[in-house]
Amino acid sequence: MIQFTLNGRAVQTDVDPNTPLLWVVRDHFKLKGSKFGCGAGLCGACTMHVDGAAMKTCVTPIAAVADKSIITIEGLGTPDDLHPLQAAWHEHAVPQCGYCQSGQIMAAAALLDANPNPSSDEIDAAMSGNICRCGCYPRIKRAIQAVSENALAYDAMAQTEGRK
Amino acid sequence: MNTINVSRRRLLQASAVTGGGLVVGLGFTGCSGAPAPLPVTSTEGAWTPNAFLQVLPDNTIRFYTARSEMGQGVTTGLATLVGEELDVDPLDMDIRLAGVHEDYVNPAFGMQGTGGSSSIRAHYMQLRQVGANTRGLILEAAATDLGVSASALSTGNGFVLHGDKRYPYAAFVETAQSLSIEADAPLKPASQFQYIGQETKRVDAIAKATGTAEFGLDVDVPDMHYAVVVRTPVAGAKALSVNAESAKAMPGVINVFEVSTGVAVVAETFWQAKQAAAKVVVRWESMPLEAVDTATLRRDYAAALNAGDGVEGPVEGDIDEALQSAAKIHEAEYWAPLLSHSPMEPMNATVRIESDQADVWTGIQFPSAVPGLVSRIADIPTENVRFHQTYLGGGFGRRGSPSHIIEATEIAKVAGKPIQLVWTREDDIQQGPFRPASLMRIKAGVDADGNLIAWDAARAGADISPDTFRSLLPALYSWMGDGMIEGVANLSEWYFEKFATDESSTEGLFEDYDHPNTRVTHMTVDHELPMTFWRSVGHSYTAFAKESMIDEMAEAAGMDEVAFRLQNTQNTPRLNNVIQVAGEHMAKMNPPEGHHLGFAAHHSFYTDVAEIAEVSVENGKIRVHKVTCVLDCGQAVNPDIVRSQIEGGVIYGLTATLYGGLNLERGAIKESNFHDYPMLRMNESPEIEVVIVNSGTKPTGVGEPGLPPIAPAVANAVYKATGQRLRSLPLQLA
Repeated sequence: MIQFTLNGRAVQTDVDPNTPLLWVVRDHFKLKGSKFGCGAGLCGACTMHVDGAAMKTCVTPIAAVADKSIITIEGLGTPDDLHPLQAAWHEHAVPQCGYCQSGQIMAAAALLDANPNPSSDEIDAAMSGNICRCGCYPRIKRAIQAVSENALAYDAMAQTEGRK
Repeated sequence: MNTINVSRRRLLQASAVTGGGLVVGLGFTGCSGAPAPLPVTSTEGAWTPNAFLQVLPDNTIRFYTARSEMGQGVTTGLATLVGEELDVDPLDMDIRLAGVHEDYVNPAFGMQGTGGSSSIRAHYMQLRQVGANTRGLILEAAATDLGVSASALSTGNGFVLHGDKRYPYAAFVETAQSLSIEADAPLKPASQFQYIGQETKRVDAIAKATGTAEFGLDVDVPDMHYAVVVRTPVAGAKALSVNAESAKAMPGVINVFEVSTGVAVVAETFWQAKQAAAKVVVRWESMPLEAVDTATLRRDYAAALNAGDGVEGPVEGDIDEALQSAAKIHEAEYWAPLLSHSPMEPMNATVRIESDQADVWTGIQFPSAVPGLVSRIADIPTENVRFHQTYLGGGFGRRGSPSHIIEATEIAKVAGKPIQLVWTREDDIQQGPFRPASLMRIKAGVDADGNLIAWDAARAGADISPDTFRSLLPALYSWMGDGMIEGVANLSEWYFEKFATDESSTEGLFEDYDHPNTRVTHMTVDHELPMTFWRSVGHSYTAFAKESMIDEMAEAAGMDEVAFRLQNTQNTPRLNNVIQVAGEHMAKMNPPEGHHLGFAAHHSFYTDVAEIAEVSVENGKIRVHKVTCVLDCGQAVNPDIVRSQIEGGVIYGLTATLYGGLNLERGAIKESNFHDYPMLRMNESPEIEVVIVNSGTKPTGVGEPGLPPIAPAVANAVYKATGQRLRSLPLQLA
């Protein structure tokens, strides 16, 4: 029996310990917000927080998260109580198909938790594990910058450069 | 934690009292007698004046979107059209994804399909009229109930206004039901638009940012089991022998059996099914395709071009005479590879068959196909198949093919349980259907004044349409037997090989410039790989050849690339105008040292686009820093969504420009996942500026037109940066 915390709730499971966290969360705990994209840790659609760090959960065996704290997109915010990044995703009309966005937002939230004022290059570095086929990257970056502590400075810079 | 005001819709939903509804079809022509009932939610006390709208007792306005939402923002766009004339804010509507019904056909196709950047163009007048007629009926009912003249009434976001009094639309539903529908209520002039042309937020953004939007993969029904299919590495091969003993012994596995495309493994969870699938040993039949490598494709296409005995497409003037008399002639050959669509959501479908009833859940671009296909495979009446559309985790043409629905139905029938079929990413990249590879040869001539006078263009490769036609035939013609379908499908392939060009194969290769002497030739060379539409279809490769060649001809004529294009687009004024505007932008650009600007323009899906790519080459690596796109798509219904579609088209196109390319090795696709079939990521994504020029026409397409010009714009910039004219995609420096 493997025990861990899922969105603040103590849970346990007796699945095969090699089962990836993604599928335990989706198929056993029925939280469908985290997505399957590649099954090889290459696209980031499955990103969750494990003890606060962004992880690709399609290649993380459930045994590796025993006694750890897992946060999924459902634990980050809800339609009635949005995380600032989720609000920014709406404000900047980030999602297109939307399939990768749970993973994108979880990666962005981990970045801002660790570095509330990231540079453009630091955002690129933190977000490059997450693929978006619809090409929402410019808006993802804009939304992250809007939420970061640098938002005011960024707005001023954009205005100076005539981009806003 | 911040919160934002999520729009009134959510508040309405929170307090919604749901209860039954009256359903009145819009009355599109159907061949059969009684129209099929609308597949809408039955809600007590609700009024359903047509297939698209319901007014609930609590004044929630429910909108059924007939087009598939694959990210292109069509749900927001269509809600905006109906909301403009109904006078309801699209963000306040309760949005539903429509099931299958003749009232939901795409007016551009006559079938229920989404593609060809057609939705906003095709529904622009229709849905506004639906909104206007419904509002007219509500006003008439209100006039009756309030005992006043309709002219004394106005509306405001779901309310009838009379003096200083407001009444919810729902208050007049009972009377409205007794009135006849007005067919041609007047539409607003553009000057009175309050939603069309505004940058409304997307109606689906919050659901998609909170993980609550339901995709096909998120569907869960009681007793659902998961299926993975072991597939042939070489297209079309059948299993000669199957050893499933070890797979059947794996935990959770309930059944392993053959289906038309391979061997299905059914288990309690996806993970168990995937693990067990790896244990299935299959001996596949040997196929002629095993003799084919990537180099074979190109060699065979070149041989066909050299032989020159293709099917002639449009021919104008005297091409041979024009080439003889030209001051300068130039010939070049361009290559574009096989590509996978690779939407982020791998193909999947959930099918439940119980006695003579079936339910299908998936996201698909072609809902029309579902009842016919499932009925044929499951042997139940078409009208007993219920289709439940979900959001599409990317489409790009891939979800116009019903492969996943066919497989899931076959598996559910044998398994006797509700089945969710899931393709792995490896299945997605290796199995197709693909964007075909193409070899294109263009010979062009200019006169001494820089006028293009001759354009002799040929393309060799597989046709795009026949495979899709073949897969949809059994769905659309339920009366045809399997043998007849095979015969008709073969006939269509033969027809395109011998007699006529599949227009998708050469579209964009010759239409944009003035050359009075034109010859287009097509050589169908088919190696029996499955093909289908890929974002912007033929334009995805023809624009690369055409706009590279135009740059080469400008140089041959000793002219500036923009001036040459302007001079030779006198007959295509809307394209000429975006070239003019983009040229003005380019003239003002001041790229840093080492950065170079490449230009390209292209017309597709009724929209004209010019793009400027700012590119540098550092350590042998091509880097795209900024893309400026000028487009004329007529009336932009939501300019912010237009911009996002262009951004997306550019980035999707950049992946193909810089990385895209599947390789065949002994008939099998070599690449398997994102490590060897890489996608553009944020760190390589350019800044993108979109300039919308509105010529005042009705809306034209935006989902695809942003893509075609980007590859040639980058290639033209690379030429300036390095002197290397790269004529093969993906672009690779020598």
